Amino acid sequence: MPPRLLLRLHRIGLIAMSYFGIFYVLVNSAAFPLIAGKTRASQEAFGHSITVLGATFSWLLPTPVRPDTSAGYLQWRGYGFFAILFAAWGLFSACGAVRRDEDRGLVESWLSSGISRLRLLITRSLFFAVLSAEIVTLTGAAGWLGCLIAGTPLDVAGLVGESAALWALTIASFGLGLLVSQLVSDFRTAASAGSALLVLMFLLDSIGRSSVHRAPFTDLSVFFLFNQSNAVAPGGTFAALATIVLVVVGAAAFVMASLGFVRRDIGNGLIRTRPGRMAEVHDASANPLLRLPIVRGLWIRRLGSLSWTVGMAVTAASVVLLVNITATFFASTPTLSPYLRGLPGDVHTVLLALIWLSFAQALVAIFAITCVSRWSADDSSGVLEMQLAEPLPRWGVLTERAVELTVTVTLMSFVAMAVILALAPAEGISVDVGRMLSSTALLVPFALTFAAVGALLAGWRPRVAVVTLSTIAVISYLVFELGPLFKWPVWADNLSVFQLYGTPLITPVFVGGLVAMLAIVVVGFGSAGVVLARRDVAA
Amino acid sequence: MTSAIVMHGLTKDYGSGHGLFDLDLEVAEGEVFGFLGPNGAGKTTTIRLLMGVIHASAGAAAVFGLDCDRESVAVKREVGYLPGELPQFGGMRGSEVVSYLGGMRGGIDRSRVKELSERLELDLGRRFREYSRGNKQKLGLVLAFMHSPRLLILDEPTSGLDPLNQQTFQRLVGEATAAGGTVFLSSHVLSEVEETCSRVGIIREGRLVSDMTMDKVHELRFHEVVIEFGGDVPDAAVRRAAGVADVSVEGSRLTCTVHDGFDGLLSAISGSRVVDMVSREPSLESIFLSYYRT
Repeated sequence: MPPRLLLRLHRIGLIAMSYFGIFYVLVNSAAFPLIAGKTRASQEAFGHSITVLGATFSWLLPTPVRPDTSAGYLQWRGYGFFAILFAAWGLFSACGAVRRDEDRGLVESWLSSGISRLRLLITRSLFFAVLSAEIVTLTGAAGWLGCLIAGTPLDVAGLVGESAALWALTIASFGLGLLVSQLVSDFRTAASAGSALLVLMFLLDSIGRSSVHRAPFTDLSVFFLFNQSNAVAPGGTFAALATIVLVVVGAAAFVMASLGFVRRDIGNGLIRTRPGRMAEVHDASANPLLRLPIVRGLWIRRLGSLSWTVGMAVTAASVVLLVNITATFFASTPTLSPYLRGLPGDVHTVLLALIWLSFAQALVAIFAITCVSRWSADDSSGVLEMQLAEPLPRWGVLTERAVELTVTVTLMSFVAMAVILALAPAEGISVDVGRMLSSTALLVPFALTFAAVGALLAGWRPRVAVVTLSTIAVISYLVFELGPLFKWPVWADNLSVFQLYGTPLITPVFVGGLVAMLAIVVVGFGSAGVVLARRDVAA
Repeated sequence: MTSAIVMHGLTKDYGSGHGLFDLDLEVAEGEVFGFLGPNGAGKTTTIRLLMGVIHASAGAAAVFGLDCDRESVAVKREVGYLPGELPQFGGMRGSEVVSYLGGMRGGIDRSRVKELSERLELDLGRRFREYSRGNKQKLGLVLAFMHSPRLLILDEPTSGLDPLNQQTFQRLVGEATAAGGTVFLSSHVLSEVEETCSRVGIIREGRLVSDMTMDKVHELRFHEVVIEFGGDVPDAAVRRAAGVADVSVEGSRLTCTVHDGFDGLLSAISGSRVVDMVSREPSLESIFLSYYRT
């Protein structure tokens, strides 16, 4: 299999993990002196606050070690969180490589070209191992660079050890994903079963960390094995044996997956449910929702939309519950407490606004990017051609896409808003309902801004639309985050879509920003309509 | 008789000599027109130009007097379309795909869907991803025929169908034309076109090289025959036989082509001992080569 094809198959994970890993580590390590202060005393006070905060979050992240240093902070904030992220990436990549490519007929096609099943699985696994090693290395390099910017260079040996442990965790998760995917017959079930397995392993490690009793089989948890290493933190250790065990887990899972892959039928899993005898159907579906413009798209993607809505609601609930902890943390950290004094209004309300809106913006932006990804895929897969074979104008397809996205973002945002309004009083947080409504409503033009740019890109060059839009989103976020830190001029800050959204929960609606977003939406979708009308479909 | 399809100088230039060049073609209403050509000849490009999915580099095409590019929405109200390959509809059931795409047309004749799916023996209750290649093709045919369009544009319609369903398809085409419909179908299998069409166009390397009635096509048809003799090879008699050409002998094996029936060949070999005899229909490419040689 040519490397270019393999790269293409893993492109979404590659782009997302590269962007996120590098950016997240770089910002968190480089910004350490800004949040912890530059004096030893302030950093120690910051470290103490993080230790207290870390105890609260011990169910989620390992206990921080020397968080008064940039290395210790990076270990806790970066690599502690990456355990979840990279394990999920490994799992979903494996499920996609087996089940999704099988659903698309790619596996059958490759096997018919003469490649053996074992060789196919080895090729896919080796490629992922190399790809994940590259991304883990780049992430480590970004951490090293960030700490260098912060003025406290990292111990390279420790960084290499921690990177090795992270890589081992990633390929162990990939191996488990391969194994689970052999058992069932479709991507959704494989991803759900694999996720359940990872959550179980995470809980085993979490229980062991946050209580005096260790749950049985904790040693088998890939998260437990990974968390034995904390080599980036000063005085931390690299658990070579645990890392080797992770690699062995990955290899053993791969071997079992290979045996399963060789034995099973393509298109089926090892666990086969006997389908019930059902009468043949010779009629069109009576579901009226499938025939109504806009509603039909919403109905077809109802499960995805529901997942996004639930995910956003859970995030909203988590943010509300985190506000008091965060407020306490800020108040007890000398370098951060001045920020509280400078905030306009009630501390809890402001923190809710800042934390929630940053999450909400990120989520709806990512949702818009996934929609653009589907629009691009519809073009290459022939779905758009089938839609256009019906008496439907191209601008009609574009309008349906935009309205469908608008409805889904509205649903996601307002359900999350309802959750916040329901939970906030119990946490003692006062929320201005009017401002909550306006800030929630503003998420719609915010998402549409990304969608409009994406629609234009998808209409012009579908194959590069997602990469380009993701780059625009990341740069936009960087401008938003770094602009105030480096005191960039207002016009430069306003190049960021995140900046155009403003902070409507605590300040009046940024009318100029709203007008700019609406202008981008109109121009973007308008141009997309012109470009799509002129372009050859699927060419 | 009015024209269902008119193409004037229709060109789609993909560069490097690929595409479709200067196509002039007219298909009358009620006709079943077969568009023949080997893979990559430009058949699908022509069909996609008619459907307004791609834009012409030069020239124009019209369906029932409507410009395929500028008035493509109106064109598609009159057309039932089967693409060369259906896209992946994943977990959607066949019945849902029918409803979804039918809904875009403004409505579905459910009795027609029932009739078509029963005749093609297609279970619409199954998920698209569970369909075999043949069943996907049947679903495509249901989608194309279900609104009884005035014009059917079908890209390799029998691809993946078993012989019984091929016959059903031929009957459906016959019924469509009997009801006044027009059919434009592409194929690279001559025998399939022979069964269905009243006229064919042959395209090669993006250019229409022939536009002929089925009578002319029958003249083009020939068989490649290989005969293994048990004794002397009667090659001189075979070479003199009516309708026999391209005779070559290798040991006890004689190879030739036979046009217009086997009587001449059978008379020539009647006194010889024949051990084995194989007759096969040549590929379209072979017919082209033969056609252009003569």
